[in-house]
Amino acid sequence: MPNPTFAVLGLFSDAQKIVDAADKIRPRKLGRLEAYTPYPVHGLDRALGLAPSSLGKLVLGMGLLGAFLALVFEGWVSAVDYPLVTGGKALFSWQAFVPVMFEVTVLFATFTAGLAMLFAFNKLPFFGHPVLHSRAIEDITRDKLALSIESTGDDFDTEAAKQALLVEGAESVEIVPVPTWDRPLSLVGLLRTGAAIAAACVVSGLGIYAAIKVVPIVPPMLKMHDQPKLNAFRSSSFFADSRGMRPAVAGTVARGHLPPAFTAPEEAGALLSNPLPLTQHTAERGRKVYNDHCAICHGPVGDGVAQLSHAYGAKPKNLLSNEMRGRPDGYIYGVLVRGKNAMPSYAPDLDENDRWAAVHYVRILQRSQNAKDEDLR
Amino acid sequence: MTTDRPRSTLVRNVLLGLTVLGGAGAAAVYASEGPARFWANWLVWTLFLLTLGLGNLFLVALERLVGAHWSVPMRRVPERLASLIPLAIPLLLVALLALPVLFPWTYEEAKHNPILVAKTPWLNVPFFVIRLAICAGAWLLFYRFYVRGSLRQDESKDPAYTVRARKLAPFFMVVFFFTVTIVAFDWISGLEPEWYSDMFGVYLFAGTFVSGIAAMTLGVLGLIRRGRLPEVKDKHYYNLGTLGLAFTVFYSYIGFAQYMLIWYANLPEEVVWFKHRIEGAWYPVALSLTVFNFFLPFFLLIGSVGKKSPRLLRIAMLSILLGHFVDLYWLIFPALGAGPLLGWPELVMACLFLGLGFLQIRRAMSRGADMPVGDPLLARGLEWQL
Repeated sequence: MPNPTFAVLGLFSDAQKIVDAADKIRPRKLGRLEAYTPYPVHGLDRALGLAPSSLGKLVLGMGLLGAFLALVFEGWVSAVDYPLVTGGKALFSWQAFVPVMFEVTVLFATFTAGLAMLFAFNKLPFFGHPVLHSRAIEDITRDKLALSIESTGDDFDTEAAKQALLVEGAESVEIVPVPTWDRPLSLVGLLRTGAAIAAACVVSGLGIYAAIKVVPIVPPMLKMHDQPKLNAFRSSSFFADSRGMRPAVAGTVARGHLPPAFTAPEEAGALLSNPLPLTQHTAERGRKVYNDHCAICHGPVGDGVAQLSHAYGAKPKNLLSNEMRGRPDGYIYGVLVRGKNAMPSYAPDLDENDRWAAVHYVRILQRSQNAKDEDLR
Repeated sequence: MTTDRPRSTLVRNVLLGLTVLGGAGAAAVYASEGPARFWANWLVWTLFLLTLGLGNLFLVALERLVGAHWSVPMRRVPERLASLIPLAIPLLLVALLALPVLFPWTYEEAKHNPILVAKTPWLNVPFFVIRLAICAGAWLLFYRFYVRGSLRQDESKDPAYTVRARKLAPFFMVVFFFTVTIVAFDWISGLEPEWYSDMFGVYLFAGTFVSGIAAMTLGVLGLIRRGRLPEVKDKHYYNLGTLGLAFTVFYSYIGFAQYMLIWYANLPEEVVWFKHRIEGAWYPVALSLTVFNFFLPFFLLIGSVGKKSPRLLRIAMLSILLGHFVDLYWLIFPALGAGPLLGWPELVMACLFLGLGFLQIRRAMSRGADMPVGDPLLARGLEWQL
């Protein structure tokens, strides 16, 4: 007949007494010593004969690993993978990394402490520990401390363990029997649990869907949508004119778009000359501006024959004509800025340099169709 | 005490000699190196002694405030170390002579500096002296109440004093907070009055507290080694290690936060203060601060072994104490506009103030028992379990 005892529990009310009792009983090797206390008792681990826990070292190591990983990750992101200067600081600015390093250190350390303690050191999940079914468990979880001598096999002497605890000052002793079940976890049990969780998910999901969509008793979350702000194209009661988007104050001038000091292109021709020196770069720029904005009407070579001229029946100016060749640079610039006949002003689309570059390019086109002798040499 | 009387006299004579030598040397420093270097040394050491004293008085009041039992058997040590306050106050009064030398807001040019002109309601000599007088008066009152009162309780065994001490503790906390902030702003950041940092008061408070714990722990360990605190066990000073660890982290947190905010914002009038302190020859000094005040004590104290081993605990606390001194040196000396100065003037000034400090502590050691024998909480403190 095997010994039916799992452990003998002795209850104490004083932390020092349980430490002393464990110190006395441990050398007698009556069984495996264990303690159940409602709060940590310093020195009890030593009295039980437990080896120093390696949890602290593990936590420290993982914390340092977290700090190191955060440093490497932030350094790699900010200085290698996507180098972006922020606030004029160096790409690898360890100062900015420290808060994140600190957080990751804490994250790694606490997760290690919690998970390693529960799963590696306390060997959870552990269903139905026999002591949980003892009478003493209520006291243990309240204000009593229990010293337990656990059975190590058939030669365990229950009576000797009981006597030893009583001699060392236990207030009461309880014999905890070996549990009668053999497998707390079964496949059917696991499947049932899984099915119950799945059913709960489906029911609660359907319930939430119905509450929002079918029978709208819960308004959907629209806080981001309903914020009190002005929308550009919506009316608003905030301003007197009901407009959300504010018109610019009268007289506002955009940067680089000072209004021209002339009204007619002829006036500009007399007033202005091209301030932009003709270089390879300016010519390239002028060609781009011309092809993007002018060629659609005036034609790729400037002869006024282009795609749109047939479609609209308009007659864009032949820029290569003698009349145009005789006009000063300022006149071409003036037409570009003010517009002429059907041609609108291009001033909003082009900045000062682009306009003058386009004028240069018109001159180049004129020259290309009316080359002089020395150009051919 | 009677058995080692000759040795005791010898130590006292050595300390006296050291002080006299240091005093003569200090005069020579003033004559040959100029007043700026003399007063900078004077300020560093005076503030070092003052913050040690205040930190220990804070520990005494903290115990009263929270009603701790574990520290009662060791409380005589911080009470005695708090006697550095009555030593530091006259030294601080003498340091008023340094105002025209070290503090730019007293210079003639300050009248033409709009920033300093705007600060004159706070930075003017009469108000400065009034502030110092109020602080010193408050410190002396609390010192008398907490230290002399506790000594009287040795004889009277009057439990009512313990109750009174607890009731007064919250007021001490408020007064302590304001006065330490004033010391930090007036005596340290006032050296570079165009600079400011809201956290600076808390920074000095953190250094004060952590160095107070360090000095107290070293005192407790020293008395235990001499067999004068036979009933104080590792369970008692274990908690000093814990406090030391916590406030090392707090100090580092405050120090780094102050640095990082100023570094991030990069405002010219703020960064220049740090620029002077972390560039060139000051860089290794700034680095040593992180070692003395954080890395060394943190890793020594984080495990339970370091808090229970007197040797490791002593190394950690010495590191903190040295770190606090280097911190004050690093705060004050760059205001002279030079690299780190370390030569015979620093050595003789150290002799003078170390001699004065130890003489004062020895004087305090001779008063009263080594444990607060009249405190009704003493028995519970001795029985106390970790």
